[in-house]
Amino acid sequence: MPALRSSSPYDYAADREWAGTRGYPLFFAYLKPRNLLRIGLGLLIAVAGLVFCIWYSRNGSDPTPDSLVGLIYAVLGTAFLLLAGLLYSLHRRSRKSKKVIGGLRSALGWHMFFGLTGLALIFYHSFGNFNPRSGTYALYGLIALVISGIIGRSLDRIMPRLIAKEASKALTQDGEDRIEAISQQLQAIVEHNTQRVRGLTSSSASSAVSAAPERVRSAGRGRTLHGPWDLAYLTLEETPQELSRYEQSYRLVPDRKSPLSRPGALLPGAQEQMAALQAVEHAMRREQFYRYVIRYWRIFHILLALVTAGLVIWHLEYAASLVIPTLFH
Amino acid sequence: MRNPVLLHKTASQVQQELEACIGCNECLLACPALDEPLTIDVLNRETFGGPISAPVARFARSCYQCGACVPPCPVGLHRDAMMMWLKIRLYRSGEED
Ligand code: HEM
Ligand code: SF4
Ligand code: SF4
Repeated sequence: MPALRSSSPYDYAADREWAGTRGYPLFFAYLKPRNLLRIGLGLLIAVAGLVFCIWYSRNGSDPTPDSLVGLIYAVLGTAFLLLAGLLYSLHRRSRKSKKVIGGLRSALGWHMFFGLTGLALIFYHSFGNFNPRSGTYALYGLIALVISGIIGRSLDRIMPRLIAKEASKALTQDGEDRIEAISQQLQAIVEHNTQRVRGLTSSSASSAVSAAPERVRSAGRGRTLHGPWDLAYLTLEETPQELSRYEQSYRLVPDRKSPLSRPGALLPGAQEQMAALQAVEHAMRREQFYRYVIRYWRIFHILLALVTAGLVIWHLEYAASLVIPTLFH
Repeated sequence: MRNPVLLHKTASQVQQELEACIGCNECLLACPALDEPLTIDVLNRETFGGPISAPVARFARSCYQCGACVPPCPVGLHRDAMMMWLKIRLYRSGEED
């Protein structure tokens, strides 16, 4: 079979032994000092808030959401959540002149920081009151939103690696389209086998053609049909037709036991190429699926943020109707 | 709603895009995954072939194919596809080791 030459500019063989960073693990974390600082600060706020919340629940005069302490938690938590929602969205849409490389990553870090600590503060603000009222629905919405953010962040790590794995299957070692390469292989197989079959049929056909008169001659040797055709005359010897029927080279339909009856046997190698083609198609379908997961999870997170914002506004309206009259008394 | 997702690109296509890159940095400025200063010429040089330095490998693994780098490109290039090629090279090197 003719060897297919790669026309890729990328030389895989030369690249195989590169020194430097290699590999793509499924789980990895790059904790820069400023990321650690953010995590530390978040933990500090969450733990300090929790300790005070527990202490106040046991020793405080009024451990309820609408007490002064409860309201401080609520205002801080809402401010954090607002910062989480707005800072990152606005930074993304800010004019490019204000941007620096890595700035958006930092904004995303603060987005996660404010989202997580904001949820913790709102949780403490509830002081364990989970009555089926607007505030509880807002809290559930917030919990779902933060969980969706954490899942989204994990998907953002896992999915691209899965995509790389599938894309790797869909590309040749030289980085070219495998479907194209397999199609070329298939075409080469078909051409190669067509030539063989042509060679086979032309040689067997010519031998059959040359053999047939010989058989006719030998079958009829010594006996020439002279004179009129006698209908009563039947020879027990094989006729030229019978001889040619028994001849192996004329058996174009192989019997069931013959290896030729296997699918693809008349085109050796084609079956494997078809299987490879299917594997590539599956890989590309999976790649597409993973890409949609990334895209739709982001949309889901944003929709959840909008729904939760609605629930929080509903709760703020309810809270205002409780708090404002007490302020005027 | 945006168009259907675009799949990976081949090495030849990635090379064409790298050759067309004018190095304006817009894609890197729009990227929410890049966590350290990186110059576009180093990134472009290491994307196609040859050794990959630690900062480029960190960026390649952190890229989450969000596509935010595509609309700002004045030349209409696909930095996400170039990053995917880097990911594939890293992935394959890990499989070999
Ligand atoms: C109160 C809590 C939160 C709110 C209101 C919120 C809201 C949003 C909004 C509006 C966006 C879209 C930004 C844009 O594209 O312009 C977003 C994106 C995102 N959020 Fe949140 N979020 C919250 C919490 C979280 C948490 C806790 C995490 C993770 C731990 C998280 C992870 C993300 C991620 C990964 C993105 C996508 C970033 C991107 O590629 O653009 N979010 N969030
Ligand atoms: S696709 Fe990758 S390189 Fe492009 S903006 Fe998103 S994370 Fe950055
Ligand atoms: S935005 Fe486009 S032209 Fe500019 S550096 Fe990125 S890929 Fe190159």
